[in-house]
Amino acid sequence: MAEASQIPMPVPAPRMNRMFDAVIARGPALAAVAGLLLLWQGVVWFFEVPEYMAPSPIAVLNAFQENAGTLWLNFWPTFFEAALGFVAGNLVAIALAVWFVHNSTAERAFFPIAVFINTIPIIALAPVLVLIFGNGFAPKIIIAGLICFFPTLVNMVRGLKAVSPATLDLMRVLSASNWEIFWKVRLQSSLPFLFAALKIASTTCVIGAIVAEWIGSNFGLGALIIEATFNFRSPLLYATVFTAAFLAVVMFALVSFAESRFIRWKTSDVH
Amino acid sequence: MAAAELHTAAGNPAATPDPGAIRVENVDVTFAEGTVVALKDVSVDIPQGAFVTILGPSGCGKSTLMRAIADLVPAARGVIDVQGQNPRDARRNRNFSYVFQDATLLPWRTALENVQLPLEVGDGGDAHADPRDLLELVGLKGREDALPHELSGGMRQRVAIARALVTKPKILLMDEPFGALDEITRDKLNEEVLRIWRETGTTILFVTHSIPEAAFLGEYVLMLAAHPGRVKEFMKVELPPERRLADRDTLEFVRITAHLRQLLEEC
Repeated sequence: MAEASQIPMPVPAPRMNRMFDAVIARGPALAAVAGLLLLWQGVVWFFEVPEYMAPSPIAVLNAFQENAGTLWLNFWPTFFEAALGFVAGNLVAIALAVWFVHNSTAERAFFPIAVFINTIPIIALAPVLVLIFGNGFAPKIIIAGLICFFPTLVNMVRGLKAVSPATLDLMRVLSASNWEIFWKVRLQSSLPFLFAALKIASTTCVIGAIVAEWIGSNFGLGALIIEATFNFRSPLLYATVFTAAFLAVVMFALVSFAESRFIRWKTSDVH
Repeated sequence: MAAAELHTAAGNPAATPDPGAIRVENVDVTFAEGTVVALKDVSVDIPQGAFVTILGPSGCGKSTLMRAIADLVPAARGVIDVQGQNPRDARRNRNFSYVFQDATLLPWRTALENVQLPLEVGDGGDAHADPRDLLELVGLKGREDALPHELSGGMRQRVAIARALVTKPKILLMDEPFGALDEITRDKLNEEVLRIWRETGTTILFVTHSIPEAAFLGEYVLMLAAHPGRVKEFMKVELPPERRLADRDTLEFVRITAHLRQLLEEC
């Protein structure tokens, strides 16, 4: 401490410094991306790869410009389906987890069914749902929800049960009711587990929505991917893929932000 | 404190108007449907306001006795009376608090919020102390808003003690509370527990596996023997009530610990 106070601290120039530090910290990643793009452009030029087979980064950038309206128009339905599926699938999973933790008979009865549903390939389930619910939003939301459902269910059950016996003893000495134990202890201690699952779900729900759009749809990024592929509009296809990836990144960032707001603690009683 | 008549006292119906803090009478505690006998015919009277340390070899049921008193395990036989009530009613009326070996703080709550927890659950308890005063009492003034992971092991246990005191319990059950701490921290907390005991007048039952700790803290030592857990001896520690860590280097103290060690070997 005494030593540290003797060292003259440099006068901070906060804003610029912080931005500069951020760039430095991300330097290797930015350089790698730039390098890969250059390599890609070089390979396409050098081997004279036809555009329908693999467009150059510049062609993809052009496609972004030319098709900005189309991409934007198809971005929203997919975002809407993914987000609604994310909310619905996770809510059902959380509710089931709460039920399972309080009723072991329910867990024994329904958990195997949940496992079974999880083992059905989502791409096989999509046509079934389209046949039932038609071409609208419903089957896409359901598939996006289904793909979120299982990881959250498993993690949430684990999280709700991850309360130490000593903490349960404490709550018993305090004559806490089951409801109080759930509300004051179980729910909070499940949050790290829940967010681990939500991070997975935040990107898979986008996959779910796009896969559902492949099967039968005339809107959304999935439909645009199919259309661009069949018409050999490769630059548009690539632009759509990047847009879908961007959507997944946005969802992931939103969940990560929520996590940082909700969980400011670390477990400390581990011996 | 007239302690001469306080011996093992099996089946001694305390006919005095002040019935004592805890009366345990011919209690058996069994596990695994009666096949494992953890405690056998245990009887002891804990006087009001006493500091009793419970010592014994591992597996002698020290913690089990505390858990039976705290209504965490049922007694298969016998009577447990806590402030004139059965353990269940005593628990509901907040007659006692329990300090565990782990601090068992809720990691998402600040020190202050952890101390407040007992007031938010159960019946909340009518009589309660000011959580901020209690944090000051345990030497954590200024750390009210710290989260458990920002506190050291000793500080976390201090928060746990403050939390136990917030309901103004008549009895404090401490189950190896400093067992996981280093010796320096432990010594410091030992002195503070004595100070808190003197300031609050709470009856304290304190489980330990350390002979010096048992002798230093206890007004009385309850020695248990193992297989099955039973009372070996209930003895008064012949030391002045005002104790300092340095007292542990006196001949008197060493004599007491030597005696306890000898008893422990006979168990």
